[in-house]
Amino acid sequence: MPKILIADDSETITTLLTTALESNGYEVSVASDGHQAYQLGIDSEHDLAILDQLMPGLLGIEVIEKWREEGIETPVIILTGVDDERTAVESLDRGAVDYVRKPFRLPELLARIRQRI
Amino acid sequence: MSLIEPIQFATLVVLVLNALGVAALIILKAINRSRRRRAEARKRSHMRLISRHVAFEHSTDPVPAKAATDPAFIDALIDVRNALAGSDLEKLERLVARHGVVDELVSDLRRSFPKVKRLRAAMALAELADDEAVPVLLEHLDDREPEIRVQAARGLGRMKWTPAIDAIVARFGMETPWVRARFADTLIGFGSAATWPLVAYVTVNHRHETAGPVAAIRTLAAIGDDEAVKPLIEVLHAGADPEVAIAVIEALGHLENPMAAPVLRSATRDADWRIRAKAVTALGLLADTESLEDLAAALHDPEWWVRRNAAAALGVIPGGLDRLYEALTGRDHPASEAAIEALVDIGELAAARARIEEGNGRTRDHDLISVAEAGR
Repeated sequence: MPKILIADDSETITTLLTTALESNGYEVSVASDGHQAYQLGIDSEHDLAILDQLMPGLLGIEVIEKWREEGIETPVIILTGVDDERTAVESLDRGAVDYVRKPFRLPELLARIRQRI
Repeated sequence: MSLIEPIQFATLVVLVLNALGVAALIILKAINRSRRRRAEARKRSHMRLISRHVAFEHSTDPVPAKAATDPAFIDALIDVRNALAGSDLEKLERLVARHGVVDELVSDLRRSFPKVKRLRAAMALAELADDEAVPVLLEHLDDREPEIRVQAARGLGRMKWTPAIDAIVARFGMETPWVRARFADTLIGFGSAATWPLVAYVTVNHRHETAGPVAAIRTLAAIGDDEAVKPLIEVLHAGADPEVAIAVIEALGHLENPMAAPVLRSATRDADWRIRAKAVTALGLLADTESLEDLAAALHDPEWWVRRNAAAALGVIPGGLDRLYEALTGRDHPASEAAIEALVDIGELAAARARIEEGNGRTRDHDLISVAEAGR
């Protein structure tokens, strides 16, 4: 069963995504801040990570950078704010494979996940 | 019985009452904490339930019977709604409709009291932005509570319910500044759909009201629709109240439409210095090269603000720098000072110094530049 890491400080987002992903046959682990996300990524292998860009602790982009330094190549989808084009593009430059703007459409996000896993 | 015994008794009574009061506070705090925890747990549970209904179109997960009256359920609905877009919102709307959520909130809003429950209902209806709530939100644009009026407008704005624009604009003149500012935020959200209702309001009311038309004009500036330029110019031509004229001039500057340049040039010679000061700033925003003469003349205005703003405008308009350099070497010291300030602000001081040295620089100009350079 593919394993996905979700990291967002909003419980609403993590609950929504966890429910949607588990109902689509994915195993999910959840982090509520950047440090926790980084550590979860180190502790176990994931097929994909969905990281919020703005989190307490480490930003989503910073988590990617620190993973890459440790040789962790987990593909990452960044969640960004609706008007944050610059961050979205920067996240692609820094190693994310995709980005999704909030508020998001679940079918679209699931399709992007299926494309990567 | 001596006096000491009643005093001791009174002291004892006071101590006991204090202790009871403290105990009551501690108990109340514990009860509130427990209530909050239970509400948070319910909200989490509702959020999981709502998420399943969104993830599965035909989820059969039962929704608790009294969910629509549970604030934790409403909060969870709102949070999920704000996280989603597109077809997921439609699924949420169906869930809301199936469980009579809007009906319950409408019923709460229509009560006479308590205010907290009514306000909570108004906020929830605004957040859920469900079309079913339109009639009640329209009704409550003139609620007795200002916060509820604001939420009513906000909800109609979130739904982009354009028929509400006229009703919101009509209230501009009668509202408190805070409510008016929140109404303005809502109207800005409507965008250019709000332009003509606002223009109509200003045109009709600017002669006998100030606060409402000023707020409406600022809202027009924030919306940024060029359709507002011509009517605003006409307001100036009609001889508006100074406060209204100032707002119009500011708005014309923000709208940056060259059609406004002639009336703004004319305003640089108004009897009211505030209007002159705003007009020169607006001409700077328009970057109108045909206004260079008027702005250069304004450098010699008796009022400091007018000179300063004119110099700042010359600093950003093509060809304006030459007028500033001319002012440096003129006989008018206040004009020189204004020119130097503007040159400092745009980082042209070195060039100014060079120009003076190659021309007829006066000692005072060198002194002024040295002072300005030392201050940076």
